[in-house]
Amino acid sequence: MSRTQLLDADQAPITAQPYFADGDPGPIVAALATVPELLGPTLNFVGAALGPGSVTTRAKELAILRTSVLQGCRYCIHAHTAVALDVGLSTDEIRALRGDIALEDAFPEVSEQTLIGWIDALAGATGAVPDDVWIAARAHWPEHALVELTVTVGATMLLNRLATGLDLPTSDQVTARLRTEGFV
Amino acid sequence: MTESTIAEAIASGEMPGRVWIYSNYHCNLACSYCLTESSPRSERRELTAEQMLTIAIEAKSLGFTGIGVTGGEPMLLPWLPETVAAMAAHLPVILLTNGTLLGGDRFERAAPLAHPDIAVQISLDSHQPDLNDMARGPDNFDKVVAVVPRLIVSGVRVRIATTTAGPLDSPTLDPLRALVRSLGVRDEDHIVRPIVRRGRADERDLGVVAVARNIPSELTIAADGAFWGSFGPTVRAGRLDTDLLLTRTILPLSIPASTLLATLRGLPEGADASLGIR
Ligand code: SF4
Repeated sequence: MSRTQLLDADQAPITAQPYFADGDPGPIVAALATVPELLGPTLNFVGAALGPGSVTTRAKELAILRTSVLQGCRYCIHAHTAVALDVGLSTDEIRALRGDIALEDAFPEVSEQTLIGWIDALAGATGAVPDDVWIAARAHWPEHALVELTVTVGATMLLNRLATGLDLPTSDQVTARLRTEGFV
Repeated sequence: MTESTIAEAIASGEMPGRVWIYSNYHCNLACSYCLTESSPRSERRELTAEQMLTIAIEAKSLGFTGIGVTGGEPMLLPWLPETVAAMAAHLPVILLTNGTLLGGDRFERAAPLAHPDIAVQISLDSHQPDLNDMARGPDNFDKVVAVVPRLIVSGVRVRIATTTAGPLDSPTLDPLRALVRSLGVRDEDHIVRPIVRRGRADERDLGVVAVARNIPSELTIAADGAFWGSFGPTVRAGRLDTDLLLTRTILPLSIPASTLLATLRGLPEGADASLGIR
């Protein structure tokens, strides 16, 4: 269970109530609502960083799920395994991003391999990112796309630490979906 | 939102001019309808004297016109009277107290409160000692009736607040009004207000249900954050109510003040205080 209070609609701060108008907004909003002045800016930023942009939804989900795996975030791995399925990643691709099977087998395209290399260097290590990783990715991805995906990785890491630090619960809906798909 | 926008909103009456401050949450009493579930064992949640003075200074520069200090029982804080006097150098202050910590030798603590810009508001709920004390604790009536004339004689402006479960204009309150008058308190300084169904009152099924539009939108600062209205930072079953929370940030005061104004502007027409809550 969550380490912090997850606010419901009755206890939602007056400034956060729009987020609760359509029912349970999920544990990230319910936790962030305890500091309501952070709610809007954080969701706006995360929405922009993880939502539709100049790169494909597939590339974004690949970045989000891989980052969450590297950060060991149970909540985000569960949630984004479901989203990755929704946006069309195959079961094998998801298993590879989760470290269950070899990446090269699931992602034969060099462009995606270089992107995963960039994500791994950002989210799976600390310190400097080697030049050769950047150069390899740049051969297949425009600079602005790598900037955008770097922001996606950073925003995902923010969510990873939030969800892991506060021990946010995976929703029943997501658990049921993952069970159906054989992921839990 | 700029500071001048806040000042204009206050000057035009769009936003109330008073800032409420919850100095602390603990209390020597444990009244049946207490909004904050206060008692001697409550978590203290104190602001510091420095924070309170800073709030007064910033409130003045933002265009607010007055400060209210409440709790808990503010007089449990040793530095409170001097701090309130320092705050009154910037804005007029109303200090809410149960008045029971000024008996005997402790009366001299009230000296800094004899100030033209300070009013001390003390609770008294019935002219019948047993009825008053049923809600507010043993000997409360006697202590209040004894201390009010002493305060007035020593130059402190005293207001009396009566919290009632009945109609606010009930003739049954007439003997209480007469008693308050006899203590030296002017009629305009005797406030009658309903029990608000929050905090301990909610647990005991007392009082009127109030939502944001019923509660005056006075900016209210507590150790836990900034709230919409002085009925915002209530406590139920030991847990702070967050439904009227504006921000966790309390200083600089411009942050919660601009959030309050933005929230106020986002509410539907007809926001009022029709329940007589104050
Ligand atoms: S109502 Fe006032 S005096 Fe009574 S317990 Fe609460 S804080 Fe104390």
